[in-house]
Amino acid sequence: MAEIGGDEVERVIALARLALSEEEVAGMARDLGAILRHAESLAALDTEGVPPTAHVIPLATPLREDSAVSPLDPEIAVANAPRAAGTAFVVPRVIEGEEEG
Amino acid sequence: MAAASETLEEFRASLDSGESSSRALVEAALSRAEGIDERLSCFVRMRAEGALSDAEEADRRRAEGEARGDLDGIPVAIKDNMVMEGEESSCASRILEGFVSPYTGTAVERLRDAGAVVVGHTNMDEFAMGSSTEHSCFAPTRNPWKPDCTPGGSSGGSAAAVAAGLVPVALGSDTGGSIRQPAAFCGVVGLKPTYGRVSRWGLIAYASSLDQIGVFTRSAAEAAEVLEVIAGHDPLDSTSVPEPVPRFREALDGDVSGLVVGLPAEYFERSEGCDPEVLAAVREAVATLERAGATVREVSLPHTRYAVATYYLIATAEASSNLARFDGVRYGRRASEPKDLGDMYRRSRSEGFGAEVKRRIVLGTYVLSAGYYDAYYRKAQQVRTLLRRDFDAAFERCDVIATPTAPEVAFGLGEKTDDPLRMYLSDIFTVSANLAGVPALSLPCGFSRGLPVGLQLMGAPLAEAMVLRVADAYQRHSDHHRQRPPEFA
Amino acid sequence: MSIGVHPDYEVVIGLEVHTQMRTASKLFSPAPVSWGEPPNHCVHPVCLALPGVLPVLNVLAVELAIRAGLATHCTVHEQSVFARKNYFYPDLPKGYQISQYEEPICTGGWLNVPVERDGERELKRIRITRIHMEEDAGKSIHDAAVTGRDATHVDFNRAGVPLLEIVSEPDMRSPEEAVAYLRVLRSVVRYIDVSDGDMEKGNFRCDANVSLRRHGAEEFGTRTELKNLNSFRFIEEAIRAEIERQAELLDDGGRVEQATMAYDPGRRRTRVLRFKENADDYRYFPDPDLVPLVLDASHIERVRATLPELADARATRFQRDFGLSDYEAAVLTASRTFADFFEAVVEAGAGGTAAASWILRDVQRALKDRDLEIEASALRPEALAGLIAMVEGGRTTARSARGLIAELVERGGDPEALVAERGLEAVSDTGTLERVVDEVIAAHPDDVERLRGGEQKVLNFLMGQVMKQTEGKADPGVVRKILAERVG
Ligand SMILES: [Mg+2]
Ligand SMILES: [Zn+2]
Repeated sequence: MAEIGGDEVERVIALARLALSEEEVAGMARDLGAILRHAESLAALDTEGVPPTAHVIPLATPLREDSAVSPLDPEIAVANAPRAAGTAFVVPRVIEGEEEG
Repeated sequence: MAAASETLEEFRASLDSGESSSRALVEAALSRAEGIDERLSCFVRMRAEGALSDAEEADRRRAEGEARGDLDGIPVAIKDNMVMEGEESSCASRILEGFVSPYTGTAVERLRDAGAVVVGHTNMDEFAMGSSTEHSCFAPTRNPWKPDCTPGGSSGGSAAAVAAGLVPVALGSDTGGSIRQPAAFCGVVGLKPTYGRVSRWGLIAYASSLDQIGVFTRSAAEAAEVLEVIAGHDPLDSTSVPEPVPRFREALDGDVSGLVVGLPAEYFERSEGCDPEVLAAVREAVATLERAGATVREVSLPHTRYAVATYYLIATAEASSNLARFDGVRYGRRASEPKDLGDMYRRSRSEGFGAEVKRRIVLGTYVLSAGYYDAYYRKAQQVRTLLRRDFDAAFERCDVIATPTAPEVAFGLGEKTDDPLRMYLSDIFTVSANLAGVPALSLPCGFSRGLPVGLQLMGAPLAEAMVLRVADAYQRHSDHHRQRPPEFA
Repeated sequence: MSIGVHPDYEVVIGLEVHTQMRTASKLFSPAPVSWGEPPNHCVHPVCLALPGVLPVLNVLAVELAIRAGLATHCTVHEQSVFARKNYFYPDLPKGYQISQYEEPICTGGWLNVPVERDGERELKRIRITRIHMEEDAGKSIHDAAVTGRDATHVDFNRAGVPLLEIVSEPDMRSPEEAVAYLRVLRSVVRYIDVSDGDMEKGNFRCDANVSLRRHGAEEFGTRTELKNLNSFRFIEEAIRAEIERQAELLDDGGRVEQATMAYDPGRRRTRVLRFKENADDYRYFPDPDLVPLVLDASHIERVRATLPELADARATRFQRDFGLSDYEAAVLTASRTFADFFEAVVEAGAGGTAAASWILRDVQRALKDRDLEIEASALRPEALAGLIAMVEGGRTTARSARGLIAELVERGGDPEALVAERGLEAVSDTGTLERVVDEVIAAHPDDVERLRGGEQKVLNFLMGQVMKQTEGKADPGVVRKILAERVG
């Protein structure tokens, strides 16, 4: 587990859609380095063949009947929107294909 | 009406005898909050109008002989990461400023169905990320015992509100100790149930596989009472445990004879940096249980030293994904005049999130990103299995595990904010219970330098009744939980 | 050996299909699924990813995914896992899509697809890599007439709608094969009631991965991904255009770069939406809000028992019971309604091979010319059986009957009445036909000599002449007999 470099931090900040000042990036690199160095102790631990635990209590898969409830009042659906037009949310113009998954 | 010294029991007695009304109790809570909260900042938002009308409803029910149960008309507080229809919730974050929820979370709904009156939302570390309630977009909460100290966190507002006698009951959430550590710092009882015992529907997520709603009260008996109300299967939460909820109060017989209290060596002998006075208070509490008939036995949780690293890898990874929805599109804060979509995302999120939240988002994004997933996230999930096995083995040998809740008493405001790793390491005794999903409770067991010390009791999965029984028995043999912060007595 | 669609390059195509499952509510949200509503009229807090909401899986979606897996010969796994695919886009409310990644519900299936190669009709097996469940995103509205020049509108009605993503192996070698596969796949999901497959509503849409390699090369070329193709015609055109583009690049000594492409039907060209590079880092991890989907084997078997007779089984039965070829049987059973129609025609008295050949040749052509599905046509199975019987009984000729199919498809009607009304009864009156034959012999003395000399193909010419004189109504058997006597 490597030391985290400035470029790495920049890459991750971009993935997380954050914008940080140079100073903040440097601070972030330092803090993450310290935390990841602490996490290095895990590398030494032998976990060969150990299954990962995502959930501690084993549960049967909860399933929902396929029945629809009445939808939210559309006015309420957009009530918290920073910008709306009628019942649509509004964002700055997106160029098709931009930032798409 | 001085509410400070009253317990849930006393509140109820005054309602039953007609000596008081719910309206009077709620008014008293609101006016105390107004006076005291200037100094403590327990609450981020009061709900005066709604609470008073709920209280009047409760009084009407009681007058008509239709009281809903033991919590009917009782003022309660909820953490600012729980949503309630028509009310604001912000997770103490600028990014959620002004967000009004169109629905109510399950735990809050169950409390209200039982008649409890929600008087307001309590302060917290932003998105529950912190151990001091200093990482709030509002003023930091102060510790009622010593206002230049933190109340712990992240549920510091709820812990301080109960400690200062503003409300007898508050809900909090615990991802890595966020109920138990502030309970310890504020000298109240804080219970984190088994993962899945209380529905997370309506709890704004920090780390989904670790988050659990729990309660703050003065006594273990009260915690049992409130847990009965909020616990139980919820079809809206796929991780909710479909087990019936025991009548926890019936387990509180005050008898611990024949029970085995396990002391994990890793939390005592080998724990570095634990305050000796804290250790001494905890040992004395264990001795009290022994005198009451319990047997004490050493147990081992050998992977404890990996717990903090494991916790921070898993919690931040999940958080980085959970917090992606705060993008300025559908609710919450949007940066002014974004020049394009990318700019809108980056500035809304950078202006909206505080430094600690951004730090954890970046760490979590890194942990999940290509090439690191196996080394960090997957590895941490494997270590989690080992930690869980430690607990399974330990509970073969004992009924509850007793440890300090935190390695120290409440620390000073600003003392750790510059050193995130040091802040993270203060969770060393609490994170394992979240990783293993087991129930854990903190209760007051003494004082050091005028500040409360917390004893942590952990139980096997779904064994809240056992944890509550031992805590209640201890409280029958001690009076630490009856101590009040001098200023708020 | 075939040189395929391009003389220098072999075309390699793999397809990813997203088909909307037929449910009343969404995959993880109880909001209704509906189409054509105004923006955000079909949403629930879960669809908007409001703070504090959680997903709960729709049981019907699981059943439908199992059905799709069984119908495509996949292994349906007893454990599958939902993961989060993390990326930012305004119509993706949570900042991640819940999908299945490392452990999908179905893997390793195939479909037999009728294809034409070097003029030969045959069945080709196209392998299916995997089928998984995932939620749809919302819709971004870019139409400046609605949004103004500087804005995009976002509608979450579709957010959370249950999709099956069906991923094929790169087994197709031409745009026609790709479309043939899609037609079979679409009819399968409709056949088993998993999806209405409505392409206009976007309920069956396709991404195509296209690459070229030199004939005989083993390694695949760099592929590009054509996004969101939602009609068979566009799919074929888009792939063709992309093959052209890549071939030109390679011919000029350039190389293809990995990219996401869009097809512009107006210009009949593909264009790069964005290059892939290594910007994509979806940070997949198991969704901690959900537990693994665990099905026991008996559950999967219960679903299997509810499936209708699947296309392959039916095709095998058609071959056995009616003596059809594997190609005929596969085409007839590719759609349930088509196969049902065939069986109804047989039920009404027609022989299997005759019914198959009339349906596959004449009926299918009439449908295709009118862009109709069999269920939308007016042709009754009894009518087709009746017409076939008239031909076989010599009461009308095949040529006359063929001329009626289009009308029956379009307007329906009774073949007896139509034949009578149009005077299309076969002419088998020997006197009339002898006269016509004599006229033809008189008009073509040279040809008659050649026939006498043993040139049998001249017989067909003379038959044709008789048909022409009788407007196709002459009973061919009688004509042949008279010709034989006269030329003898
Ligand atoms: Mg795909
Ligand atoms: Zn997909």
